[in-house]
Amino acid sequence: MLNALKQLCLLNGVSGDEDEVRRYLIGRAEPHASRLSTDALGNLIVLKKGRRSAGNRVMLCAHMDEVGVIVTRITEEGFLKFDFVGGVDRRVAVGKPVVIGPNRVPGVIGLKAVHLTGREERKKAPKTDSLYLDIGAKDKKSAEERVALGDYGAFVCEPEEFGEGLFKARAIDDRVGCAVMLKLLEEELPLDVTFAFTAQEEVGTRGAFGAAFSVTPEIALVLETTTAADLPGVESHRRVCAPGRGPVISYMDGASIYDRELFETLCRLSEKNGIPWQTKEYIAGGNDARTIQRTKAGVRVAALSAAVRYLHAPAGVGSTADFENMLKLTRLFLAEIAERSE
Amino acid sequence: MNYEQTLGRLCALSGPSGFEGEAARAAAELLRPLTDEVYFTRTGSVVGVRRCGREKARRLLLDAHLDEIGLIVTGHEEGFLRFAALGGVDPRMLPDREVVLLADPPVYGVVACMPPHIQTAEDMDKSLPVKDLVMDAGLSREEAERRIPVGTPAVYRGGCAPLGEQLLCGKALDDRAGFAVLLDALERLQGEKLGVDLYVLGSTQEETHSSGAVTAAYEIAPHLCVAVDVTHGDSPDASKNETFPLGGGPVIGVGPNCARLLSDRLKQLAREEDIPCQIEVMAGSSGTNAWPIQISREGVATAVLSVPERYMHTPVETVCRQDLENAARLLAALVRSLGEEAERC
Repeated sequence: MLNALKQLCLLNGVSGDEDEVRRYLIGRAEPHASRLSTDALGNLIVLKKGRRSAGNRVMLCAHMDEVGVIVTRITEEGFLKFDFVGGVDRRVAVGKPVVIGPNRVPGVIGLKAVHLTGREERKKAPKTDSLYLDIGAKDKKSAEERVALGDYGAFVCEPEEFGEGLFKARAIDDRVGCAVMLKLLEEELPLDVTFAFTAQEEVGTRGAFGAAFSVTPEIALVLETTTAADLPGVESHRRVCAPGRGPVISYMDGASIYDRELFETLCRLSEKNGIPWQTKEYIAGGNDARTIQRTKAGVRVAALSAAVRYLHAPAGVGSTADFENMLKLTRLFLAEIAERSE
Repeated sequence: MNYEQTLGRLCALSGPSGFEGEAARAAAELLRPLTDEVYFTRTGSVVGVRRCGREKARRLLLDAHLDEIGLIVTGHEEGFLRFAALGGVDPRMLPDREVVLLADPPVYGVVACMPPHIQTAEDMDKSLPVKDLVMDAGLSREEAERRIPVGTPAVYRGGCAPLGEQLLCGKALDDRAGFAVLLDALERLQGEKLGVDLYVLGSTQEETHSSGAVTAAYEIAPHLCVAVDVTHGDSPDASKNETFPLGGGPVIGVGPNCARLLSDRLKQLAREEDIPCQIEVMAGSSGTNAWPIQISREGVATAVLSVPERYMHTPVETVCRQDLENAARLLAALVRSLGEEAERC
């Protein structure tokens, strides 16, 4: 699974520009799919028949998109103004490389030298509207030959193993969910499962609206990442969760209260099978579950996430054991749902 | 000189102030085919000498520093690393920055940051000082302490690559770009008879205390010196009054740190050879090695020749190849012009 994750983390798919990721996923999913379709929002929905016929009983969901930037204006001097796509702390973007548009034009987010700043100016994070991308163009015309307004820019980070049992990459949020789903697609499943690879999660769980509406599952398990803040100096109640302590099973976050019975089922399955698990010790964030839950007459939702440090920043860090345990626990969850259906 | 290739190699090497070994060895290797003799000084600088063959010839020192800004580990906390800056690090560059910790073997790290989800808008308006930051090497406390002892230096991870058609962008271009200019000048002078003994210095510890240049200048005892370094290049968020356009040509320093005979000579040669150049007036210290070298021993006639560089002291420092070439042309012209009359300098 780690190889697939590395592949996925090399692809660019800022919200609204998920083509590259979707194409890769279609290629990998097609041989195993009973039915595969894409929709108007850009979601990829794959049905795989299992040993038990279960119709639309269960849906797994992971989003394809990632946070990034979008080019909003080209200046006379040939620099690019941009907005962030999704929630980015602008302080992690300063001085970082970005690849822009379909031709992957290299650029950097510039900032004048610290020597040229005043004491007060240095204490503040530069404002987003003062930031710009430098692609080495000598003027507007030369920039326009290489990029266009609306081109998306993705951060750059080499996906690789890191420290002791950790993995560092861009867009682990949520390519790890995609990787878990790809792996399950390759396996024989205990019941019919719909795999929803969603678009535009980072700009308001937009893709999930259409995906949940068309699939209308009874139960949805969202495979995600969540905010690890286990750093020295952070008060213990704000550390949320930590990589390496097992998948995060959520009872609640900033956008959903999860189905209690499904939460308890996931906890019980972990305990019974000796899989470490943790939960979020701080209520923040949200994911596709909020949208899925409120679809039509309602869907029972659960979320299983990898604790990832530096979420929504170029270099994120998660635990490979957590990723594997997410896969194991999802597998056990599907078996449990299949058993109940008997 | 293939700047892309040479700087691609030099900038990828680690050489924070005080720990320039790797960069200095590469510099020595590059100097060897272009000089008569190459040696290391006691403080780790590299010197390449090209002699003119005349007895008691004047000595011209061309300096560029090999060190880059960096970080150094000062303590351990829960497996994370506390650190201090080596040189003028801009803390605004640090959150979620990838680094290489120069332990044996080297270890990759990331400067930790908080996710936006659990911060307020006010939190995110503040820039964080170095003292509030930690590095993450993904290690347990025991392993971090064992593999990365206190005192381990670190540099930004990365090298240097083209940005657009004319620019090069990366870490440590300040001042490996200057060193590449010196190599280019040497290449241009190959096989030519010189009027001075030429000392090309790749100096250490410029970003902290200029210790490499101070000690090398004493040892070499030059009569003349040009420090080749970077100066602030233009960018949309910087005042045009404080910066120099990239591609506008090398920048000749003028002021108390610059002997008039040398700065005038550089200006005149630029005119004669049709080399674009710009003038930087420096009312006091030039902020380069020329400042301490000027007062070495009985005093040295110093000049400052700079290359405009955007985003100085960041991992995305940016220079223009033509400026580097033109700086090398101008330096070569200066060396050629110092014939017999160098005796009077």
